[in-house]
Amino acid sequence: MFRYYKPHTINELSELKAKYDSKLLSGGTDLMVKMRAKVINPEVVIDTKGLEKEEITFDGSKIRIPLNTTYDDLLSNNEFCDRFPMVVDIIKQIGSPQIRNRATPIGNIGNASPAGDFLLATYLFHGYAEIKPSNKKVRIHQLIDGPGRLRLKPEEFIYSIELKERKGFKYYYEKVGKRNAMNIAIISLGVLVKLDGEIIEEIKIAYGSVGPTVVRFKDIEDGVIGKKFSKELFEELAEKYYERINPITDVRATADYRKKMVKNLMLKSYYNLNKN
Amino acid sequence: MIIKFKLNGKDVEFDVLEHKRALDFLRDDMRMTSVKEGCGEGECGACTIILNGKNVNSCMVLAVELDGQEVWTLEGLNEIGDTKIQDAYIEKGAIQCGFCTPGFIMSTKVLLDKNPNPSEEEIKEGLEGNLCRCTGYTKIIEAVKFAARGEK
Repeated sequence: MFRYYKPHTINELSELKAKYDSKLLSGGTDLMVKMRAKVINPEVVIDTKGLEKEEITFDGSKIRIPLNTTYDDLLSNNEFCDRFPMVVDIIKQIGSPQIRNRATPIGNIGNASPAGDFLLATYLFHGYAEIKPSNKKVRIHQLIDGPGRLRLKPEEFIYSIELKERKGFKYYYEKVGKRNAMNIAIISLGVLVKLDGEIIEEIKIAYGSVGPTVVRFKDIEDGVIGKKFSKELFEELAEKYYERINPITDVRATADYRKKMVKNLMLKSYYNLNKN
Repeated sequence: MIIKFKLNGKDVEFDVLEHKRALDFLRDDMRMTSVKEGCGEGECGACTIILNGKNVNSCMVLAVELDGQEVWTLEGLNEIGDTKIQDAYIEKGAIQCGFCTPGFIMSTKVLLDKNPNPSEEEIKEGLEGNLCRCTGYTKIIEAVKFAARGEK
């Protein structure tokens, strides 16, 4: 039995958040389920939709996605779809139309789930979060403290996020689950690669659902820059990630299965990236 | 908390409990019994309503969130005589126990409003948030195609 507030200004929202044991409600697709299952029991629910809804905007190579933007809003934005095809692929695999009509990218980050599909995208697209009321801008991966935990002060909340376009990159994304719709990843992998001829100029690799948060190893990525894009190289990469990633067993899959998939998906990514 | 919203084209005002879900409010208080609870966690789509032109799971919406919004349930489509989709489901035998049907019809409505001539793939994507445990979906897909072509 919570109380419900719908503040209309940033300050009001921030004061409520600091004062009560609260949860923010925007899309509610996770919050409503968790409250019903009594996984969480907040004293107060703060509806963020009272704040004026801002438009999705573009500035050079960046997109700004404000609070209360839904996945459907993003998919309905032609410029976003043209410039962020990999993120479109990721979003299309989230939930169902009903979920995408309500759920929000910022909510996905707020949940800080290791299986967060949009959260994985922010690791690959140089994601920044704008924090109110302090007006700080922080890298999204630095906000995540662990499953369900954000490094925010009690009065702070995510007001908008920013992603950087990846022009000239090929991409591969795969989410392994038990069915197509309404799937929570057993493991997911996103790879972005920019080639100069056959030489790797830039590469970004992120795994979901295999650690307490999205997994990305900058040193491994840096180690392959300047090398030839080849099957042998991806076999090496598969071994490296296999050695370093230690997933857990949960309701969706065993640790052993996930570990094998860490390797197999990396090999699969080579064949898929090589194709297009 | 008093909420005012448009239900099936009519203005409605009601005092709702803050923690009540839109699903329970619409079904129990407004007697919109086409809105059904299946899973209660957004998986099955039996509680699908149309909120501001979009299909959503009413189990994931608070009743208070309906304030100022526009809601349609299957009852409303019947009232205004918009039964093309229902007729197509009946014609094609896309109904067995019927529990999932109102949710399917609401999702079909949104799909066809957005895309009057969807491909089979687009139908599957549009209805992927609704589960049916009887039909095997073939007849449902046929019904959506039938409704889209506007055949009588």
